[in-house]
Amino acid sequence: MPYPEDMVAPMREELTSAGVRELRTTEEVDTFFAENTGTALVLVNSVCGCAAGSARPALKAAIGRRSRPDRVATVFAGQDLEATARARELFGDVPPSSPSMALIKDGELVNFLPRHMIEGRDALSIADDLSAAFAEFC
Amino acid sequence: MGTFHDTRDPLHGITVVATAGDTVYVGRCHARENGRIELHDVDQHSDGDDGKTNAQYLDRAARFGVWPRHEHLVLAADEVTALGPLSEYFRRPGDKPAVPAPAPQPVAAPGASPAAAPDEAVQLTPAAVDEVRRLLASEEKPGQGLRLAVAGGGCSGLVYKVEFDTRQESDIVVPCDGFDVLMDRKSMIYLRGIILDHQQGLGGRGFQFQNPNASNTCGCGESFSV
Repeated sequence: MPYPEDMVAPMREELTSAGVRELRTTEEVDTFFAENTGTALVLVNSVCGCAAGSARPALKAAIGRRSRPDRVATVFAGQDLEATARARELFGDVPPSSPSMALIKDGELVNFLPRHMIEGRDALSIADDLSAAFAEFC
Repeated sequence: MGTFHDTRDPLHGITVVATAGDTVYVGRCHARENGRIELHDVDQHSDGDDGKTNAQYLDRAARFGVWPRHEHLVLAADEVTALGPLSEYFRRPGDKPAVPAPAPQPVAAPGASPAAAPDEAVQLTPAAVDEVRRLLASEEKPGQGLRLAVAGGGCSGLVYKVEFDTRQESDIVVPCDGFDVLMDRKSMIYLRGIILDHQQGLGGRGFQFQNPNASNTCGCGESFSV
């Protein structure tokens, strides 16, 4: 069952205020993925403080650096259920995981950071991993 | 913002691998108590399943996660011979097997006594200093310092924040080797005597806090209570 919107609104705003595009419907997800050239990062957001509490600032730090994807978006697991399910379909054969981050290049998943590689780590270190992936693929 | 529980098991919320006999279980640890290990969103694999060894299964699991087949599973603790984070199984191309790192030797930031009492200063290990300098260079934000702060949230009530930021007038500033450590006065209450380290271990890479003020810490490492 989704959390009250009042509770999750700051977690959405933390990303949208940094220019991350929020995809709340399947149509918005399809539109975002329809542009299948270049690079795109999708963060599957979560209310989990243990992991998403680091994932969000990590993404913000990483996209503030020189090397970054062409487009950055987010879906909110447990909140925007249909949009999240649709995004996960488009990731391919990757188990559901939240928070997680998928880097897509020319329509293909090229890098995936699942929850267990986020939990227990500080934001700067996660950002460093993202930057390494951006440097390789973007 | 986040989860709202405290005094949990150190592995609470962490995706773990539990080994029992020739079967490995991968799931999020909920609790270990009364001789039971409770896992959520669990998959399991035995040597030979799907033509894969457990090592091959764990290699893929560490890279992508698992498709859970049990929403909730309880294991008898006395049947589990090994239990640890799934992230420790993650290997990048060319990675060598993990070697236990020696205990870090903290060094005081200039301005703080090397033998600083817990209530006197923040300290950074040489590994943390090197990592901060490397990240500062890659951030390309000259003039910024390393802000250490404490905020409400996390499994144990308070979470550490580490970020690059510009100095505020009211900040407490500890000059370090090539950068400043910045702390607001409220956070300083919780950060006195803290040692910031940086670990390069497989799956455990990142900054780690050693906080003499913390009475309880979360398995995530980012959350604590006093």
